Amino acid sequence: MKKVHIIGLGIIAMAIGIIISTASDYSTYETFSSAQLKKGKDFQIVGTLDKSHELEYNAEKDPNYFSFVMKDKNGFACKVVFHGSKPQDFERTESIVLTGRMNGDFFDATHILMKCPSKYKNDKLDVNGYIEAVPSKSPTE
Amino acid sequence: MIFENELGWLGIAGELFVTTAFISSFISAIAFYVSAKSKDDILQQSWRRIARMLFIIHAIAVTGIVATLYYIIHEHRFEYNYAWEHSSMQLPMQYLLACFWEGQEGSFLLWMWWNMVLGSLLIFRAGKKWEAPVLCIFMVVQAFIASMLLGIYIWDYKIGSNPFILLRDVMIDAPIFKRVDYLSFIKDGNGLNPLLQNYWMVIHPPILFLGFASTLVPFAYAMAALWKKDFTGWIDSVLPWTLFSGAVLGTGIMMGGAWAYESLTFGGFWAWDPVENASLVPWLILVGGIHTMLAYKKTGHSLRSTFLFYLLTFILVLYSTFLTRSGILGNTSVHAFTDLGMSGQLVFYLMALAIPAILLLIINWKKIPSPEKEEAMASREFWIFVGAGILFISAFQIILYTSIPVYKGLVHSITGVEIAPPTEPIQTYNSYQLPVAVLILLLSSLALYLKFRKSELKQFYRRMLVIFIVTIGFTILIAWKGGLTYPTHVALLFTAIFSIVANLYYLFTVLKGKHRLYGPALAHLGFGIFMLGVLISSANKHTISLNYRGVDYGEQMNNLELHTNQFMPKDSRERMGNYFATYIGDSIAEPNHYYKVLFERVNKWDSSVVHEKFILRPNAQINPKMGLISNPDTRHYWDRDVYTHVTTVPEKNNDDINKEAIFKEHLMAKGDTIFTSNSFVVLENVDQVTESDKVKLVKGDLCIGAKLHLYPLNGKDYLAQPLYWIQGGKPELITDKVSELGLVFRLTKILPDQNKVQIDVAEIKPEQDYIVMKAIVFPYINLVWLGIVLCVSGFLVSLIRIFQKKKTAIKNVESI
Repeated sequence: MKKVHIIGLGIIAMAIGIIISTASDYSTYETFSSAQLKKGKDFQIVGTLDKSHELEYNAEKDPNYFSFVMKDKNGFACKVVFHGSKPQDFERTESIVLTGRMNGDFFDATHILMKCPSKYKNDKLDVNGYIEAVPSKSPTE
Repeated sequence: MIFENELGWLGIAGELFVTTAFISSFISAIAFYVSAKSKDDILQQSWRRIARMLFIIHAIAVTGIVATLYYIIHEHRFEYNYAWEHSSMQLPMQYLLACFWEGQEGSFLLWMWWNMVLGSLLIFRAGKKWEAPVLCIFMVVQAFIASMLLGIYIWDYKIGSNPFILLRDVMIDAPIFKRVDYLSFIKDGNGLNPLLQNYWMVIHPPILFLGFASTLVPFAYAMAALWKKDFTGWIDSVLPWTLFSGAVLGTGIMMGGAWAYESLTFGGFWAWDPVENASLVPWLILVGGIHTMLAYKKTGHSLRSTFLFYLLTFILVLYSTFLTRSGILGNTSVHAFTDLGMSGQLVFYLMALAIPAILLLIINWKKIPSPEKEEAMASREFWIFVGAGILFISAFQIILYTSIPVYKGLVHSITGVEIAPPTEPIQTYNSYQLPVAVLILLLSSLALYLKFRKSELKQFYRRMLVIFIVTIGFTILIAWKGGLTYPTHVALLFTAIFSIVANLYYLFTVLKGKHRLYGPALAHLGFGIFMLGVLISSANKHTISLNYRGVDYGEQMNNLELHTNQFMPKDSRERMGNYFATYIGDSIAEPNHYYKVLFERVNKWDSSVVHEKFILRPNAQINPKMGLISNPDTRHYWDRDVYTHVTTVPEKNNDDINKEAIFKEHLMAKGDTIFTSNSFVVLENVDQVTESDKVKLVKGDLCIGAKLHLYPLNGKDYLAQPLYWIQGGKPELITDKVSELGLVFRLTKILPDQNKVQIDVAEIKPEQDYIVMKAIVFPYINLVWLGIVLCVSGFLVSLIRIFQKKKTAIKNVESI
């Protein structure tokens, strides 16, 4: 057997090793209730902001404490705590992807990814505004 | 229906160019194919002439598309969706280029244009034998890219996305487009994403896309070689191209890193974001290919792997295109393109090029020459091969993990588990890539000391011993000074220094001024310095904006990660590491809002000694569409950076004060004082006001202002001036608010007979002016940039050497 073949086999073996280890590295998309069952592991949860609850953020008191209530895809609402500053315009977010873990009765988030409805690529032309502006123009002009 | 002022012909011209570019590239590919296939010399030549003609038409058409689209953006022709969606009136000139390639269509166009430029160079340089087959592959790819701009429907399937589509054709339902004069109402475009309003957005994409485009050259040559079964004749022609590609693509990728570091806020230059990974992986494979190719040139070994690497490079470029443009990364990356519904098409092209490439390679694998004799252990080619294998593994791990969104559906259907990318991508990727870096650093320093074929080991060991001793010394020194104790960090530190010492030694004692041979050692030295910079700047990066407000003493106190955002009330001097930082005010230069922060560097032991003062202006755009977009500001020192950005600013509420506030009435004469819960207020005088920033005064108006001086119980004093404004006989009360103290004043009555005025005071919740900011120190980050510059110049030095060699070879031929 040539040395090159040995190296080739070594590379293949390593590649297989990496594929197997993917199984331990990936995280999973969960819901609050399924995350509750697997405590101590990090997950990602997709959901929406529960607007019936107030956002809790007071920069003066603690600029690294932001808390809100999110509904997961099953509609289950849970308090979320994020140790960081409140993202601006968080109220307007449409969908949220959280990374973190359950910590007692709340979800301890390490990352928040927001999807805003008014993402820049929004094909909303302010058509009404333009049409309303029409009558103010005098027809004789 | 004819629409007023609409320049319809522009779009028609653009579409015509697109169609021409598509058809000409397609037919040109066929003509090159026939020329490559035909055995007869005259047939070959005449077909090649036809193909070249078509190429010229193609080149003109592509340039035409670029010019038309740029004209539409430049002239703000908002009747076209592309201009409306990506640009706006107030954008400065230089960003119009950025608008051009912000959209998918524009970036495909940029890619296609570079391909065209490289293709024209190849027609001149490829030579009789290679021109037809290489350009055939080129034009097939070009036809694929051109089709991405077609925007036509075949039955129900949309092929490509047309950049010249009219706005009224995109928003069919909007009633405004029923009007003949609709254009007079569309005064402005949607504008460029503010994150991209940045000079990096002007220079980064062209370089990155030139890098992507240039990987097509080795791919096309490799395909042509497999097709024409001339497995060796292409190597010399392709070598300079691959060096060029390695330099440009490498620069493009790291420019992305510098951009991220300088103007985005994830606090670093590399975050293993899927989009970054997708561009890095082809580069790793390309670098592997360059090395095996060199080994082949000198010894005849590793030709098969060279083919594999070059084919893979371009396939991976296509795959990255698919990843970043199909919308598949949706939930995992902040900067993937939005989906234009072209993923099916992208998969088709990927398969249409990858499958023939891999099949051709498999069929010819045994025919590709490979020496019977094995490489010696003590030879450069052997370790080059090992190194290329490690690069392959590195690329494999990155792409496998980045592709999780691609195969998560498959995994879900088999196992029922919804897999997601790693929650801590940086740690996860680092845990694999750190050992890779250690091995590559070792190989990149050892390999140059080994000679091709067989080396004199005695000399090798002697040199290694010297290098080893020097390295140990530096490693201990830096590890001790920098507090690096993790075994992995020390291993990386050792190998990085080893690589720096070994390559410097090689440059100065082995090569002894043979400048033209500096390339490889310079590139390797650059990589060593780069890794040293990466290690120190990330392992020793520390946040100095640590907030202790509202933090429980005890356990929470120790977890620094939990309070890295500092609350900075205006004019309050806050400690930050060796600095004192004071938020001293803000200023607005549309669309940016700058927050001025005064930094004072103080003595470590005696904080009353100030060494230097400077102002950083991290800015934020409070964008009505996207919220707060923060841009960092950084103080650069030679040995560290102080990097700051604003994370939160108060949300100003301008609700009607008069509604919620409860006013208390006070009758006051000049000099009288009233007390509020937090300050006392003196009426200084009552006077007529002729100018005010609150109201627009017209001649004939009467406006009286009461000048109030506010003395809070602590802190600095303020002035307030409520107005009594008689406009057309009707009085209007203009309140004045001092939000820091939460006081609102109103001048409600003027009683000239008593020489008194009535001042109403309301107390509301004080609104503080503050910012919440982050400040991070990156030590020795300049090593990162220095390393990259050296690495890229290594590529360029080698490139120059090849050209000089060719020149001398030609001269020698001529002189004979």
